[in-house]
Order: sequence, then structure tokens, then C-alpha cells
Amino acid sequence: MHSSIQPHSYVVLRLPSSTLKIVQVVPNTIVSIGKFGSFPANLLLGRPYHLTFDILEKNESNPQTDLRIVSAAELHAEAILDEGDSPSESRDELSADTADGVEYDVQDDGSVTLRSNQNTIDDPNRQSLSLEDIEELKKLSTGRDIIELLMKSHSGLDEKTAFSLAKYAVRKRGKYLKRFTVLPLDVSLLLEWVLTEKEAPRIMELREELLGLVLCWSNVHHMMPLSNAYCPDDVSASGRWLVIDETSGLIVAALAEKIGVLYEEEEDEEDEERELPDSSRSYPQLNGMPVKVHQSDAISTEEKCSDTQSNGVPSDSAANRSSTLQPQMPVNRPPKHSVRAQSATSNSITLLHAATQPNISLLKYFGYDDSNANEKHHLFMHLKTLSWLQLLSPEADSTYQEPEVVPDNILQTWRGGKKSSYFRKRRRWERVKDVIDDTRRGDFDGLVIASVMEPAEILRHLLPLLKGGAPVVVFSPNVEPLVKLTDLFSKARRTAFMTNPPDDSDMPTEDFPIDPTLMLNTMLQTSRARSWQVLPGRTHPLMMARGGAEGYIFTGTRVLKGEGAARARGRFSKKRKIERGEEIEDDS
Amino acid sequence: MPLESTAESPFLTPFSNSSSENLAILYLSRDLQVPVQLKEASQTLSRTETNSATNSDADRDIVVNTRFGSFPHSTLVDLPWGSQVLASKVDTGSWAKKPNGKKRKRDESQKGEPSEHDRDSEELSSRREQGQRQAKPVIAADSGFAHLVPPTPEIWTRALKHRTQVVYTPDYSYILQRLRVRPGTCLIEAGAGSGSFTHAAARAVFNVAHVRKKKKYGKVYSFEFHEPRAGLLEQDIVGHGLQSIVQLTHRDVYKDGFCVDDASIEGAPRADAIFLDLPAPWLALKHLIRGGTTEGSYSSPLNPRTTTRICTFSPCIEQAQRTITTLRSLGWVEIEMVEIMHKRLEVRRERVGLQEEGLRGVNPSPANVSEAFERLKEIEGRQRAFHENQPEEQKAKQAMANSLGMISKAERLKNIRDAEAKRKLYKEGRLVHRTEPELKTHTSYLVFAVLSRQWTADDEKLCREKWPLGDA
Repeated sequence: MHSSIQPHSYVVLRLPSSTLKIVQVVPNTIVSIGKFGSFPANLLLGRPYHLTFDILEKNESNPQTDLRIVSAAELHAEAILDEGDSPSESRDELSADTADGVEYDVQDDGSVTLRSNQNTIDDPNRQSLSLEDIEELKKLSTGRDIIELLMKSHSGLDEKTAFSLAKYAVRKRGKYLKRFTVLPLDVSLLLEWVLTEKEAPRIMELREELLGLVLCWSNVHHMMPLSNAYCPDDVSASGRWLVIDETSGLIVAALAEKIGVLYEEEEDEEDEERELPDSSRSYPQLNGMPVKVHQSDAISTEEKCSDTQSNGVPSDSAANRSSTLQPQMPVNRPPKHSVRAQSATSNSITLLHAATQPNISLLKYFGYDDSNANEKHHLFMHLKTLSWLQLLSPEADSTYQEPEVVPDNILQTWRGGKKSSYFRKRRRWERVKDVIDDTRRGDFDGLVIASVMEPAEILRHLLPLLKGGAPVVVFSPNVEPLVKLTDLFSKARRTAFMTNPPDDSDMPTEDFPIDPTLMLNTMLQTSRARSWQVLPGRTHPLMMARGGAEGYIFTGTRVLKGEGAARARGRFSKKRKIERGEEIEDDS
Repeated sequence: MPLESTAESPFLTPFSNSSSENLAILYLSRDLQVPVQLKEASQTLSRTETNSATNSDADRDIVVNTRFGSFPHSTLVDLPWGSQVLASKVDTGSWAKKPNGKKRKRDESQKGEPSEHDRDSEELSSRREQGQRQAKPVIAADSGFAHLVPPTPEIWTRALKHRTQVVYTPDYSYILQRLRVRPGTCLIEAGAGSGSFTHAAARAVFNVAHVRKKKKYGKVYSFEFHEPRAGLLEQDIVGHGLQSIVQLTHRDVYKDGFCVDDASIEGAPRADAIFLDLPAPWLALKHLIRGGTTEGSYSSPLNPRTTTRICTFSPCIEQAQRTITTLRSLGWVEIEMVEIMHKRLEVRRERVGLQEEGLRGVNPSPANVSEAFERLKEIEGRQRAFHENQPEEQKAKQAMANSLGMISKAERLKNIRDAEAKRKLYKEGRLVHRTEPELKTHTSYLVFAVLSRQWTADDEKLCREKWPLGDA
């Protein structure tokens, strides 16, 4: 991810009203943020994130709209002022603030009363400025001036306690300040934006707390593509994740972020060595054809390696893959397509979708558009998509059928358009076949599901595609589907299954919609972050938070079917259970 | 034995099989997951020359004993992950009778603790001395099994030996998300403690070489001021093959700050994210500032090119308040405090009804009105019959009862018990969920803040030249 604002990138602006707004920073254009004003995009380009700007409108002294960086000290001015007030200093004659936030007034008769809202008059006329006055002011003055005037012309201001005054000021600032903060658009912020500003159901009301849990429990992370030395034994251990994402691509983006294939590498770091000649990048040769590798040469090493494997050890899957890896038409293949879509063998995300096309519309904010994919984007290679039809019954899918191979000599005679359409078909078939075969081969490192479909049925199809020990995470906005799922793996059901296992051919049975011995460590959980306001003397949890779907996740670990009958040992009383008498020792 | 490179860490690249010298998790039940540093008997001999082992010792096999059976390491090595392992018949009696062998006794203090793995290597090797040879092949026991799963930070967090309060998954997952820890991030962690957060952070920052030379490697700079704890954590890090990602320093960061020497990164740590699990985080904050612009000034541990994100983790609100006050005065912005409320839910079948009478873990009261009604009617009828037939003989009464279809209570309970064996209890009753009995209502207050990179008037001037405003 870039550390400064890049041309044409999306950024998030946090406005004084604390709403979020996504804007694309296109050079030489004007960015408008509604009633808070507008400014030239060039004033943001190249600047770092997390700065707060005031918009300085065009006036006599200012020929152009400008931005002023608001320092942290200015942002915290009030809080710091309050913190600086030690009780002894502020105990002046008329009002005395104490650290605990209680204020006193000294009355004319010399008595001291607690300042409170006891005598507050609820009357809109206490503000002497009329609506028209304010509208007029808005045209002429800066936000700060308006607020100052507003406060001056409020007749009841000195009756307010310091706290209610502060609240008043915050409210007015949210309304009149022409100020914004620039934030980088990453997965967490995109989530917050969809949740608060757009339709939350679009991302299944997934909150950040739960996304965090999903990402940890799925154990998703960047994986080392295996080096040659390990390849023959372990060609598959390279980070392949199976995903069902009905959150418009948010889960895919989050996984990609954690794997390290969501953002572009920082290109133009202000570095001494930034002017690296192109030759310093290595373009490994693959079967005599130059292959441009975006991700890492380690990946191509692995590809080579699977070739070697197919020569040495006979393995169907590897042979399949290597044969498709070898360019079918090296002579005629247009070079610009040397980067094969969806061809990454490691650190890949395989997205299974229920419709003909996947819905990953949110990925556009990260520069990836599925219908018009940018082949420089990591996801071009690392995101693989296939439909349920393609997974369960590839023969029923027309794109899986191999198009006719035309010999070179005939091909030479074809017109350009016909030729390129021929190549396009071949390429699409290769891609689809690769992805389908690769997915059906299984051996995935983990499974993440965020779907409105019945989870048990999904798992029945997908659990066998996971490696032993692979984590399974299912997110659901509501608890009921996950309660049902958890129940399918209950101890009682598992024991019943093991004592009297139904025939494989009978599965799924009514009692066992899914083999309960395929997964263990099942857990159902939810989490919520509660935000607090922390101000001197005014620390408390926020009064309001988002309601709606609570959000739950189900986690489990895929295990292999045991050979032979295993019988559980030990029926322990509750007391014994707590003791945990287990130990490790050297023995026999 | 330390692993050669990070790629081999079972946390980061789980090969499809378990292997000797690597960590594996023996999964027994959800609350009992035993970490095992696998050691094959023959390898133990060949690799540890210091061991005054004789030939016969080569056959010695280390055994994990659990309440679900005994598992010799030889039965655990080189299995596909997720395999089911049957417990083995292990002769636990004869070695104790050896002349020098003192009978293994676990004193009370040890008993209460969760299982320890060979972190206590001394203890282990001394026990190994008493170990009895087992030349004969391992025989499966009649009952008992476990599953062998690869380690993950989540499992490790639950299984590790607590030396300090542990940062659990609900907290660290949220923290890592909020701190935007990704492959390539450099993270400072102070107050490493038991290493729970350390493992999760190492997984999150891990990345490998890219084509481009200037690729930034993810790294965790970990600090722990308690020397014995630092030593133990270092053992874990090395044992888990994470040493090239985690650089642990034993240091008092309040006093000495966060700058370290690292051959791979110039001006280390160049941190993008910071996690402070310290009793007084505000005392450490003075070291986490941007460097000055002039040469020879204070060198900052922060990455000068990126926004720095921080999270502090304090159980008490006063600590959090003080931290926030200090953060404000040092120019941090977007300050926010949250607490995480996490719940684990249990799912069960709640069985209610008269058919449950006398069974355990159920509610034997009537499940609905008609059941209650029928029951009351039956009792009423029985009582009436009793009163009406009082003068008659016992036998006649019994006959009467039988004719009404009534049976004795003992009979009824027996019938219920017999019926239970045939019932599919796992699909009966009402499916309910509830919070698990043990609920953590508070872990700590998490304070988040960001510090944007320094932006000087010169930087601004350069930027204005690059992106001129034109004549708008």
C-alpha cells in the first residue's frame, strides 16, 4: 500500500460530521465534498495520509482555493486545555472546576452552588442570530468565525456547564467547519464506509471485530512458495484458500490483504535507488518463453518444479497442470498475454460463486475490475473464480469443453480477427480448465464462507477439498444457521456416527447430513467492540452504537477420516475435567 | 533443534505432514490441545551428541501421556496433518522399578498446571535417563485416540504455558486488523509476555522475497523486560522457526527505547505499527516520536515514510486515560478507546417432557399443556381408583391398575431408561444456544491512535511543484 496519495487512487475523506466519503483523486480536477466545499485534487496528490485540512475559500487575499494542514495540537486544543487545568489553578473566584468535573458557582449572596442544568431554559430564541443571518455568514466567513459568532450571540452560554459547552461546540463544529481528514482506503475503512454510509446488507453486516476473527481463525497469511528442495514431496503446501463470498468481494479483499496480493507495491519510494533499471528485474524463462512474473520468481520456481515432478513422479494432477502450463502455441501467442489470468499456484484465492459471474464489485476500490481485469494487478493471477456448476459438474459447463485445435499451417492462413478469436477461446478454455481441475484436486489450506446458502450443504461439498488440519470459518449475520450447523457436529451426533457409521453410499442421511467426524474443534462465537469517549472528567462508553445483525462465526478444523475403529477413552466426572491431569513424560 | 529458515516454521508453511523436530498439536478435546515438539527416538540420538546415550537408548521413544491415552512420538511423526492417532499400549510400570529410578511423582503444584511440553528440557532429559527401552513395535491400545493438527497462533494461544496475562484471539485479531498489520509490516511489540500476540503478529507480517529488490520484509521487534520470560520466549521463537521474523530484545523500553540493530534493515525497526502491553505505556511513548529533521538528532524507531499506528492494552481505565493524555500531547490523532466483548456460544439440545423422567441433564416436567393435562388426569384417575377400591385386596388393586394401563413408578422409570438407549437423542429436544459458562467480561482497554508522517513546508513545496494548481 502506498504511503502517499497516488493519482487516480480512491481515498476516504472523513468530514466534520464524521461521515465518510470515498473520492477518486483524479489529477487536475475538483474534489467536491458537498456543503463543506470543494478544492483542487492536485492539493491532495503526493501528500501523506491522516492529515487534516481546512478548506480556505477563494477570497481577496486568496486567489485560489487552498488547503491548510490542521496540526494535531489544534485538533486536540480543547482536550489538552482541559487536561492542563489542574484543580488548584482553575479555582478562581467565580467558578471553580475540579478534576472530577464538578463545577461550582459563587452566588451574589456568597453561597456556593453546584453548577448544573437545573435552570437551563429550553428556548430556541436564546440564539440571537437568525437562520438568515447564519446563511449569510456561511457565504462570507470561515467555519471558525461562524462558530465563534454563534457562541457569542448565544445568551445562555455562560449558564452552560463546561461539559455541555464542549458538546455544543462539537455540534457546531460538525456543522460549520470546512475541514476533512484524508484516510487511505483499505479493507477496514471500506467496511466501515459500507456499513455506515451504504447498504450494510451488501456486506452481510460484517463488522470489523468479526472480520478480524474470520481472518485469524482462517489462519490466512502469506505463504512461502516451496523451494525446489521440498517440491517433490510437498508440491501443494503453498497457500491456497477456498472462499465463498457474498459480501460483494469484501471477504476476498480482506483475504487478499492478509495474503499480500491486494495492493500494488510501492513503486516510487523516494529512495536513492528508486531509479532501478528494468534489467534488474528478473524475467524467468519458462519452457523457453519469457514469462513476466508479477508476484515473485519463487512462484515460477514452483511451476518449474511441478514440471520436474511430472517427469519424475507420476502424478495426475501435476501432469495436468504442467501440460497446461506449457504454452500450447508459443509461436503465435501474442506476448501481451504472457501473464495468464488466474494462474497463480501459490497464495491464491479460489472464489466459488452461485451466480454465473462472481459479485466482487467492491474490489474496484482496490483497482481490480473483474469484467475488465488489469493484468498488472496481483489479483489478476491470484484470484480464481468458478461457479458451483463448474465445480460439481464441469462437463455440464460449455467453457470446460476443449475448443478444436487448429494446426499451425492452417492458422497462418486465417485473418487476424478470426485468429485472435481462436486464441481467445483457447486461452479461456485453458484458464477455466486449469481453475476447475485445480479446485477439484482439493488440498486447500483453508475455507472461508460468508454466504446466505445453507452452510451444512456447502460444507458437505467443500470439506473433502480441504487438507487435513485446514481451518474452516463460516460467518453469518444471524446465529440460527450456525446453531444448526454446530449441532451437526455435536458430541452426541459424532458418537452416534462412530458407533454405527452409515454406509458411504448412503451419505448424506437424514440423521447425518454431513459426516461429523470430518471436523473437530467446532466453536461458535461473536464479538463486539464497545467504544468509549475519553476526555478529562468525561470518560464513558459511547451512548449509541450500530444495532442490526450481531454477526457470528463458526470455526472448525478439518480432520482426516480415521482408519479402523477408534473408541473414545475415559468418562470423567466434572471434577476431574477441571483438574486437567494430563502430562507429558518420558516413558517406555 | 533450531530450524534453518523461517520457511520451515510449522506456523507459516505447514507441510502436509508432521515431522520430527517440529511443533505439532495433539488435539484431544476442545479444552485440551497439547503442543508437542516432536522427536523421533533415533534422531534424538543422532542429533544430540551431548547425550551420553548408549546404543540401546536409540530405541527410546518419548511418550505423550494424556487422559485419553498414551502417544509415543514415533506414532506421531510423519503423519498427514489432521490424522487420527490411536493411543498406544505403553508399559508404564517397569521403568519405574529400575534401581535408580525414583517413582515419578507429580507434586500438587505441577498437577494443577496444564500440560507442559519440552520447554522444561532439563526435566525432560532427566526423565529420559530413567526411560525404559522399547524395542518392540508400538501396539495400539483398545481405546483412546487423538488428532494431530498443525499449530496455529490460535491453538498456541490456548495451549501455551501462561507466564503472564495472555492477549487472547478476540483481542489480538481486532488489534491486528485495526493496526493494519499485513505482509511486510514492521511491528514493535513491547511486553511480549507469553508470546501469544507475538505468534499472531509474526504470521500477519510474514512475506517472502519479491522480484523487486527494495522489497520490505515484515518483521516483529519484540521487547520483554523480564529476563527469564524473555529467555523462555526466545526458546519458543527458535523452536517454532520464527527467529528470522521475530527479533526479541530483553530491555526496559521505558528507559532505553525501541531502537535496535538489525543487519537486514537500515535504521531498524522502522516500525509501521506498535503494540504496547505495558503497565505504563505513557512512559514508553516518549521514545515513539518522529526523528528531527537535522542531522545527528534523535533517531526514531518509526518508519519515516508511513503513518504509524499504535495500540496500547491496559486493564485499568486510569492507565488508558493517562496514555491518551500523553498521546494527545505528543501529536497522535484519531485517538479511540474500545473494549472487546467476546462471547463463545454453546449449542445444545434442551430436552423437556415427561418421557425424560429420571434421566440426567434434562427437565422432566411436562413439555406442553396437553402433556400436563394427560398426566393430571391420569393421577386423578388413579387416586379415584385407589379411594374407591380401598377395602379390596392388594391383588384386586393391582389388577385394577393393570386394566387401566397403569404401571408402578419403578417400572415406568425402567421403561424410560430402556427407551433412551433406542432414542436418537442428538436430534431430539429444542436446539438452543447460550453463552458458555465461563464469560470474560473484561480483558483490557484498547487505545488506538495514529501518527501521520512528518510533512514539512519543503515537502509541501516539492509537492506543489509536482502537482501544480494551474489556473483554476
